[in-house]
Amino acid sequence: MTPFSETHSTSGSAIVITDLALSRSGSTLFSELSLTFDRGDKALLTAPSGYGKSTLLRSLLGFVPATAGSITIFGRKLTPQSAWQLRCRMAYVDQEPDLGEGTVEAALRRPFGYKNNQHLHLDPDQIAALMEQLHLPDSLLNKPTSSLSGGERQRVAVISALLLERDILLLDEPTSALDQDNGSAIAKLLKGKTETTVVAISHDAVLVETFDRVINLKQHSRRSV
Amino acid sequence: MTIVDISFFNLAFAYLLLAAPLAIMLWLRLPMISDTLIAIVRMTVQLLFVGFYLQVIFDLDNLLLTGLWLLVMLVVADLSIVRGCGLRLSRVALGVFVSLLVGTLVPLLFFILFIFQDNAALGAQYLIPISGMILGNCLRADIIGIQTFYDGLRQQEKAYTLSLSQGANLREALLPFIRKAFQAALAPTVAAMATIGLVALPGMMTGVILGGGDPMTAIKYQIAIMIAIFAGTALTVILAIRLTTIGNIGTEGLLNKEIFVAAGKDQ
Repeated sequence: MTPFSETHSTSGSAIVITDLALSRSGSTLFSELSLTFDRGDKALLTAPSGYGKSTLLRSLLGFVPATAGSITIFGRKLTPQSAWQLRCRMAYVDQEPDLGEGTVEAALRRPFGYKNNQHLHLDPDQIAALMEQLHLPDSLLNKPTSSLSGGERQRVAVISALLLERDILLLDEPTSALDQDNGSAIAKLLKGKTETTVVAISHDAVLVETFDRVINLKQHSRRSV
Repeated sequence: MTIVDISFFNLAFAYLLLAAPLAIMLWLRLPMISDTLIAIVRMTVQLLFVGFYLQVIFDLDNLLLTGLWLLVMLVVADLSIVRGCGLRLSRVALGVFVSLLVGTLVPLLFFILFIFQDNAALGAQYLIPISGMILGNCLRADIIGIQTFYDGLRQQEKAYTLSLSQGANLREALLPFIRKAFQAALAPTVAAMATIGLVALPGMMTGVILGGGDPMTAIKYQIAIMIAIFAGTALTVILAIRLTTIGNIGTEGLLNKEIFVAAGKDQ
């Protein structure tokens, strides 16, 4: 364990990060990051801009390889091979999501057509309920994703993530394009997911109030100069 | 009926026709005059070289020599496609070559074995023009298909990673991009088939008529070649996309940006 490790119970842990180092374009962002997220944790990651918060979220999905250390998700070590199965336990919302081509409804239905998600059932009532909770009209379902505003796209991306009912939600600035009302609506939805581990990057005061833990990455890792 | 030859002296008159487009370019002050002149010189030299070389191949009519010439055509097409798509040669040349080989050889063999059913079809006089027409279309389709595919992956990287994060396997995540690229690559051939004969007399048909064949024979050749081109382009595009992804998509599912020439220093 490093001096920056956060002491936290690892029993029933959803994500265990041990002595992790990540780099971007050849230069190390940070090293010796150790964190644990338990099942149901609602954790907000903060750090100065460019520290590597988004890269960390992408590394949890297996998109960015660790230059040192390891990530374990539900007891299974994350590798480029295991990432394919482990992604089926996670859902991700990018800070500027691209929902792909087609209508909003097609974008929401698309993941349910994937082989790995065949056991999931898409309930149209659930879509309607989430749309209402996030103040989106039903008519939006028939609109092409390319016509959505930034805020609409962000809310649809959150709905898409929630519909998959994953164990872990990784959210990168999920309310950055939203007003306070819509930000609060997302915070409320996330709070209601008691069994879901949520790891988010945000500077939104509403989310800061809602989440159990606010983790400053600077205090848990060594910044490379 | 024999074809009327054009003397080199008479051919020189054709170059006089260039005065009109060059004058328009000068008038519009387009910065493409030197490129145009270089292209005309290249066309002339290349065609003269090919003409002399093909004359030798036709005279000898040796299957091995014809095969070697086809190989040269395939390599040149391969290099043109890779350069035209802005991809690194070392990363995709083999995949594109195999796709061209299959896309050209399968329709060509079909032509020889089932359509002609005649040993004469193994002669250079048939093999080279037919494979050249198929290969030329494969080249055009591959450039459109590969470029559309990789540009799509690069421009919609977020949509691609979103699908991976949602649990899509590699095939499922790539499918929308393959679909779009395949459609873009085949659309010109489909459009050409729909308007053929009405808008312009196609090359094969013109060749047969100029060579002394009757219009019905020319039409039969043209129908066969159009179908061969369509089948060849479909095969080559799907193979080119799939084969070039091998080794260029990491174990985690992301595209290696080193595939693009702009990402590296050399080609």
